[in-house]
Amino acid sequence: MKRSLTAIAATAAVLALALTGCSSGGGGKPADPNAEVSFWSFTGINAKDSVNEYAKKVPDAKVKLTEVGSTTETATALIAALAGGKVPDLVMIQNDDLPKFVENSSNFVDLRSLGGDNIAHDYLGWAAGAATAPDGSVIGIPTDVGGLGFAYRADLFEQAGLPTKPEEVAAMWKDWPSFIEMGRKYTAATGKPFVDNIETSVFFSTVNQVSEKYYSDEGKLVYDTNPQVKEAFDVAVKTHDAGISAGIAAWSSGWAPGRANGAFAVTIAPSWILKGIKTDAPDTAGKWRIASVPGVGGNWGGSVIAIPARAEHPEAAWQYIKTMMSAEGQTDHFVQSGTFPAATSAVTSQSVLDYTDPFFGDSKIGKVMATSVQQFPSFYNGPDTTPINGALLNTLVQLEAGGVTSDKAWTTALQTAKQAIGG
Amino acid sequence: MSSATATLSRKQRKGPIQKATRIRNPLSERIAPYAYVSPFFLIFIVFGLFPLVFTFYVSLFDWNPIGKQTFVGLRNFELLFADGRFWNALLNTFGIFLISTIPQLLLALFLAHLLNHARLRWANFFRMALLVPYITSVAATAIVFAQIFDKNFGLINWVLGLFGLPSVNFLATNYGSWILISAMVMWRWFGYNTLLYLAGLQSMPREMFEAASVDGASSWQQFRHLTIPSLRPIIVFSVIMSTIGGLQIFTEPLLVSPESGLTCGAGRQCQTLSLFLYEQGFGLFKFGYGSAIGVVLFVIVVLVSLLNFFLSTRTRKAR
Repeated sequence: MKRSLTAIAATAAVLALALTGCSSGGGGKPADPNAEVSFWSFTGINAKDSVNEYAKKVPDAKVKLTEVGSTTETATALIAALAGGKVPDLVMIQNDDLPKFVENSSNFVDLRSLGGDNIAHDYLGWAAGAATAPDGSVIGIPTDVGGLGFAYRADLFEQAGLPTKPEEVAAMWKDWPSFIEMGRKYTAATGKPFVDNIETSVFFSTVNQVSEKYYSDEGKLVYDTNPQVKEAFDVAVKTHDAGISAGIAAWSSGWAPGRANGAFAVTIAPSWILKGIKTDAPDTAGKWRIASVPGVGGNWGGSVIAIPARAEHPEAAWQYIKTMMSAEGQTDHFVQSGTFPAATSAVTSQSVLDYTDPFFGDSKIGKVMATSVQQFPSFYNGPDTTPINGALLNTLVQLEAGGVTSDKAWTTALQTAKQAIGG
Repeated sequence: MSSATATLSRKQRKGPIQKATRIRNPLSERIAPYAYVSPFFLIFIVFGLFPLVFTFYVSLFDWNPIGKQTFVGLRNFELLFADGRFWNALLNTFGIFLISTIPQLLLALFLAHLLNHARLRWANFFRMALLVPYITSVAATAIVFAQIFDKNFGLINWVLGLFGLPSVNFLATNYGSWILISAMVMWRWFGYNTLLYLAGLQSMPREMFEAASVDGASSWQQFRHLTIPSLRPIIVFSVIMSTIGGLQIFTEPLLVSPESGLTCGAGRQCQTLSLFLYEQGFGLFKFGYGSAIGVVLFVIVVLVSLLNFFLSTRTRKAR
């Protein structure tokens, strides 16, 4: 009996080892820049095009691309891998998820060790800064940025007696009070809401037109005392009070129909959202225009590419980054798939600035986006930036749904934020 | 597990079966049964028991999956019980659970009774049709229901508008979002429970109902005094299963309001405990805090299941 028990125990132990002990890692192999690189990307950014392009440029190199899922799913999978699984050699991280990883920067290769101290200088300062740890180590290279503009319906503007050309519109809503004033005129003339919602279309723009956001430059939490944040929040509340918002949240069930049926005339438009407008509202082709937001500067989205510290082939991964993330590589990728470049000289390149689209009435989309990211201010984002942002946005959603009143919105927002960061 | 194995074998050795097997190869004969059942237990240990125990362990830490892990004792539980979001999620969970389960089981019972009727035409068609919601993907159901209940362009608000009633923003309020989610849960599960009950009814001798009819029992009397008592074990089973499922409801609140991420509504109107766990653990990577929520959820499910069990056995004895 003893023996059989021992046998069972031994079998179990072997099985357990076989199941758990599979991640002893590489090492000992010579650095081969053409070794097969495992690359995790998220969907919707056309990483496949880049990989194919890379294969043309470096025929000997091999890349195994996995499109893990949405940006959040990719970040979750990366966390699990870093915590004790097999890590990829290359991984894309979306900007909203980035602070958590920057905070634990030892999980990634400091790219300065592969590309020298100045590697980040070729990219937009704030975009590169978001992937730089406080000790100066660079954990990611910006692959793209979102940019920011407003998409508006020229036909509906015309009916309301407003200007229709992007330059005139941008000049008319030169600041946020004029934006609200335009909304009042539109709503008075048509009886319909002007803008889709206040949280993503207004607050998301205003809160990023600051010199300090939720953290001070020294990394201290100041979201509750920073007057710039309160001001940005108040603009959104005033937009609501003016009665010009439809209260249709981005990605809510009414959003896609609303884009198609004119339930609102203005919606936020980072470069990557444009494709969605086309799919949701194919019948509105030619009626939309793109103009700079009031205050011009802005960005929503963007991502970086990084190499985990335990990657098997960091040199091969670096060769991919070096080849594909150059200004030239990013410009090519923009022309092919529309992801807006993050390399400084790509942003100012002629093929980016000249980019237009007949669906959007040949508005100068490239120029609008380029100006927005060039004027985007640089500020410090900490690990709690995303939860605080979520808390403030959610309070504005509640304001529009009638769950909180305008005069209590700010205090509610602060309480929610405080709870969200466990303070 | 090993001590249980040992006791079993010792008992076996004294039994008469042992003598018979001793003639052949005793060792392999004795191991064989354990070998046959071992795959389940090994997989259960790896994917069931270990995560459960590990969750208890992690709940005592401030656990950053890719950074530092510090032991904090019961601090996570202290924070949790002082956290308004936890009580809100608990209330939502029970609210959705009650609104979805009670009408659903009553409906299932009623439908099973109807479908069991001897003279029903196309009975098989109706029985099969009940399963269609169950085999439909939850994601598809969530998208369709969210559209039906939409504030601006939804079917329900359109109908309300025809009668001159103001439109309702279902997702914006607690009760509204509970009703929306409960509708989805009911839609998905009522067919499953109906078939369970129907199977129970069909195993009952038809003569019993015929005799009751001959004796002049009305349909309602048959339902009350024949159907329900003889279905009692199945009802207890379905109540316990619905409780376990209902308290862990996750996918519906996750998918019904994609715009608000993991909170199910800007004010957490329909965030259930499982979704709160997911938000803390996998949204914000507070694994320790998330595990503490998991432990509390585990305790709640065990308590409620015990309560169900106790109530149902007591009523049986009382009869």
